[in-house]
Amino acid sequence: MNIENIEIIRIGVYATSILLILIGLYAVLTKKSLIKIIIGLSIIDGGIHLLLIGIGYIKNGTAPIFSPGFENASAQMVDPVPQALVLTAIVIGFGVTAVALALIIRLYRHHNTLKIDEIKNLKW
Amino acid sequence: MEIIYLIFILFLSGAIATFLLGKVSKRLRDIAFITTLVVPSVLFFTQINIGQTVDFSVLGIHLSWGITNFSYIFAYIVLGLGVLAGIYAVAAMKGKENLGFFFFNYILSIMAMMGILFSRDLISFFVFWEIMTWSSYLMVVFTGKDVQKVGIKYFIFSAIGAYAMLMAIVITYSLTGSMMISNLIFAFPDFEFGMQILIPVLLLIGFGVKSAMMPLHVWAVGSYSHSPMAYTAVFSGALSKMGIYGMIIVMAGLVSRIPEGYWFREVIAWMGAITAVGGTLWAVAQDDAKKMLAYSSVAQLGYIIIGIAIGTPLAMLASLFMAILHGMFKGTLFMAVGAIEKQTGTTNFTEVTGLIRKMPFTFLASLMSIIALAGIPPLGGFIGKWMLYESVIGSNHYLLIIVIFFSSTAAFLYCYKFLFGFFLGQEEKEWAHVKEAPAMMVVPMVILAIGTFIFGVFPGLILNPIDAGLQELGYAVTQGRYWEMSVLFNEWGDTVVLQPILYTILAVFVFFLAFVLTKNFKKTRYVSTKDISSSGEIPKEHENLTFSRGFFQPFLRSVEPLMRRKIDPYYNSFGRGMEAIFDFVRRIYTGNGQTYALYVVVFALLLLIFKDRLWG
Amino acid sequence: MVGSPVLLIAIPLLAAFLIPLLGIFWKELVRIIPGLVLGYLTILSASLYIDVLNTGTIVETIAGWRAPWGINLVFSPLTGFLATLMTFIGFIIWLYSYRFKRNVEFEAAKKYFIFLMLLVAGSIGIVITGDIFNQFVFIEIVGISAYALTAFYTGRNSAEAAFKYLIMGSLSASALLIAIILIYSQLGTLNMAEIAANIHNMPPQYRVTAMIFFIIGIGVEAEIFPLNGWAPDAYTEAPGPVGSAFAGIVVKAGIYAMVRMMFTLFDISGPMQILIIIGMITLVVAETSALRQVQLKRMLAYSSIGQMGLVLVAFGMGTKAGVFAALFLMLNHAIIKPLLFFSGSYLVFNSKEKNISEMSGLGKLMPFTAAFFALGSFAIVGLPPFAGFWSKLSVLTAAANDGLLLIIAIVLLVSIVEIVYYFRVINRIYFFKFDKATSVVPHKPRVNALIAMAILAILILVIGFYPDSVSEILNRASEDLLNTPDYIKNVLSTGQSLTY
Repeated sequence: MNIENIEIIRIGVYATSILLILIGLYAVLTKKSLIKIIIGLSIIDGGIHLLLIGIGYIKNGTAPIFSPGFENASAQMVDPVPQALVLTAIVIGFGVTAVALALIIRLYRHHNTLKIDEIKNLKW
Repeated sequence: MEIIYLIFILFLSGAIATFLLGKVSKRLRDIAFITTLVVPSVLFFTQINIGQTVDFSVLGIHLSWGITNFSYIFAYIVLGLGVLAGIYAVAAMKGKENLGFFFFNYILSIMAMMGILFSRDLISFFVFWEIMTWSSYLMVVFTGKDVQKVGIKYFIFSAIGAYAMLMAIVITYSLTGSMMISNLIFAFPDFEFGMQILIPVLLLIGFGVKSAMMPLHVWAVGSYSHSPMAYTAVFSGALSKMGIYGMIIVMAGLVSRIPEGYWFREVIAWMGAITAVGGTLWAVAQDDAKKMLAYSSVAQLGYIIIGIAIGTPLAMLASLFMAILHGMFKGTLFMAVGAIEKQTGTTNFTEVTGLIRKMPFTFLASLMSIIALAGIPPLGGFIGKWMLYESVIGSNHYLLIIVIFFSSTAAFLYCYKFLFGFFLGQEEKEWAHVKEAPAMMVVPMVILAIGTFIFGVFPGLILNPIDAGLQELGYAVTQGRYWEMSVLFNEWGDTVVLQPILYTILAVFVFFLAFVLTKNFKKTRYVSTKDISSSGEIPKEHENLTFSRGFFQPFLRSVEPLMRRKIDPYYNSFGRGMEAIFDFVRRIYTGNGQTYALYVVVFALLLLIFKDRLWG
Repeated sequence: MVGSPVLLIAIPLLAAFLIPLLGIFWKELVRIIPGLVLGYLTILSASLYIDVLNTGTIVETIAGWRAPWGINLVFSPLTGFLATLMTFIGFIIWLYSYRFKRNVEFEAAKKYFIFLMLLVAGSIGIVITGDIFNQFVFIEIVGISAYALTAFYTGRNSAEAAFKYLIMGSLSASALLIAIILIYSQLGTLNMAEIAANIHNMPPQYRVTAMIFFIIGIGVEAEIFPLNGWAPDAYTEAPGPVGSAFAGIVVKAGIYAMVRMMFTLFDISGPMQILIIIGMITLVVAETSALRQVQLKRMLAYSSIGQMGLVLVAFGMGTKAGVFAALFLMLNHAIIKPLLFFSGSYLVFNSKEKNISEMSGLGKLMPFTAAFFALGSFAIVGLPPFAGFWSKLSVLTAAANDGLLLIIAIVLLVSIVEIVYYFRVINRIYFFKFDKATSVVPHKPRVNALIAMAILAILILVIGFYPDSVSEILNRASEDLLNTPDYIKNVLSTGQSLTY
């Protein structure tokens, strides 16, 4: 496969991730339901993770391991760092989402609503 | 150890000790309080030499303490009044709550004033200035009356003044690289034009607030009348003089050395004149003695400011003389009002009458102070006023002198009102129980009153130090001593002793006394003040003959246009307006989580849009 | 060598894990262990810090990987100073809240101490790490524990505050991640020193964009306007000691991350307009919003935000004097604000609304607590001779040296607003009559809380009367921040510098 195709794939990945981020932002900024806002945040996270993976992408890349027969394969290796980062980021995102959902339960018990507009006892 | 440090350590530890001893024993606390005031004062006057300095550095800034001839003049006021009012305070405040706190702040403010006088650099000056401000603030709110209004107003104005000063200080530091006052004075003529204007203006705002110069005076009346009278004596007598002290340094050290100084002088002189007139008129209109004295203080400070602004050696001499005298007689008057308040429970002229026989010593002290205030010989006030008039006329400010004459004539009205309202008039049954205040309250008053007399007759006692101080400020000696410029001393005494006047007055008194004693002694009969049957009418016992209500209505009506303009409401509505704006600002925090998320996104977009501008 | 910087992060994390396990054996351990841990950390960090001042920066490599590849911890005069400050404040917070929720509510106390440990560990991690992704992870740890601590009280509006915090926090975390991606895609490294060494090879457009995302990412923790909507809510609803932890520890970490990014990562020298502008807006908006607050803690929160704005302004000047002033402000704020939160939360202890208007006349009934509050207020508005004055003076002199007269004027005007709202409270405490109907029922502070407050008060007085006691430390720290080449050299030459 030639170089241009790789670039197209790369751009495709970037575009998809940016689209995901924008969709997530749309949800966060316009949806009134707390759950949907959290879903939006997760979508943003997903977009960013995709972006991260996209950076390290190499067509036909190999795992970043030096093993017999692959001593000189470093040019072909996928960059391992973004993948490590994404794994960490996913875990963190999971944690945040869990806390958020727990908070939503508390909020629902306290306010009897999931509408973010109606939950503003604290202001000014 | 350096005595200078020792003085401050004594003050500070004494303040803390007084506060803590208050929890143990009242008597110990009082003793500790007086000791803390007296011991450093004694040390100061015996051990400290003029020109002796101590140097140290904080945060890499060189600081220096030391006393000069000039600041020594003010040390007399601070320590003298501080000790006397302190003795008075012990008796006057007896039985009040929270006295440890009162004494603590009292000592701290005395210490802070001494610190201001010792400071040869701007940082120590500012530090002590702020300590003085907050300790006096805590005194203003001590009685708990109107704290959110009067107290906060005092502190806002003080803070405006102090921060204006601080701004000038940091600008000075960036321009000269040094915090020494002498360096500022030395380098000032070489500053660029904008700074030559900005720095004195900022400093004058700072000092103008403390010396209650219009239009920065609005805090003064409330604060003077709300703090305990024992402290107001110091507050009005000594603390406001710190503003005068700074103002003199600015006018003599900075303003006089630039070509634009002339305009500064004119403007400040007129502000002083407006202060004097306004203060006097408002004082006349008051029915409450505290408020009256407070306005009177404002007016008197106005005179002093005029003298400073005129700036000739004679005017400076007059101002400093009046500053000392004002500290004495206004201190006495506030103490007298405090004594009356303690004995009768009120300070309203329309309620209290006929105390002259019940509180004779208080009356005596008040009488002498009032005479000094009104500027009648042989008491000290006369000399100050005379020299001030002379210097104002001598520097061709004819319009100004008319204004001053007007206000000092009007001052007679409230002087009279004070004496009549409290001491003269019919003796009402309501006040029959009133006794003279305790000796510890009377003695300081009488000492100060006698002091005004002595300085009136032997003005050289304080004119000499003032003279030395003025030379320190850079007034070159051209014709011997400055007071010799005054007609007063040329005509009536070539030394600074006004004995001829004294002798005349003594002679009159002796003659009068002899006359009374020889002629009428046998026939003297003591009567009550209601016994006015000689006028052909015998009033009933309960009939109130006192007419201390609605004094001077015709006069007040005639000057009413002058008094219609009050600046206070403008400040108040400005303050309210600001609060409304601030209240509006905080609505940015809507409380809606989504809006906050929107802020994050909008902020990101804004930064991205303006990134070229922000990073050039 | 007494220990290694890695312990500063590892021990509290371990403790957070062990607390619930040990709590099974003896419930009191849940309260004691955090104290032991934080006390040890304070000593460790202080001794390391003394070491650093004498011998130079310690760079710790994790698992033996050399700098550009492995993660490393940098314990320099600056980070060491902040880490020591944080552990110390953490210890004071533990001391204050030792009896938190008494013995009856074991579960609540357990959760509180676990999250407090995480909060401290995360904040120290933010400061001493030398790797931006690692910093991101620590920011998230701080974030999650802070959300949880904010939502600590059930039955109040705390969940609401925590949720707002969470929305802003995760949005900004996303921005931070984008910034990290941008840098990694351009420079291929995550190590701060290496980024700093190569940052000028990065195309300016990318550089500025990355910086903007960084500012947004860290701005939420650093409470810059307009990313601080969460702060007043969270400070108000969180328990008192947590509020002081936010003000004393978390914000400091956020500010540190911000300035490390600006000064070292992007190697900007000279004045930073963006910091000055953001800082000024933050200062003005926060202080003016504080003026009309009804609730005490909310007022303190706004004041805290305002102070952070001032810190950013001082950093933004970019000069040695500016950085010195900013660090001094951070130090003072870290001491004074916890004192205010401590004493303030005791003053309104029994109140449901926590309103200022309920504090009338408490000065007589709670003399010590009220005195500490007054001392804190005096210090924070910058009245001499208390600590706050010297930092304010340093800021102003630094500004004057740069000729920023307008900024001096605004800062001073805002200080007047600050004075007004603090003194209104003090007046109410001391000079109003206690009224049974409207005032709160006084609640006597516990001995440990009093000791904690007294320690802070003594520090305020010491710094106030003898500011030179800290100026040497601050000087070293500010030199360290400004000296990017040394930072790069120290970190990238770790191989020979030291191992544990």
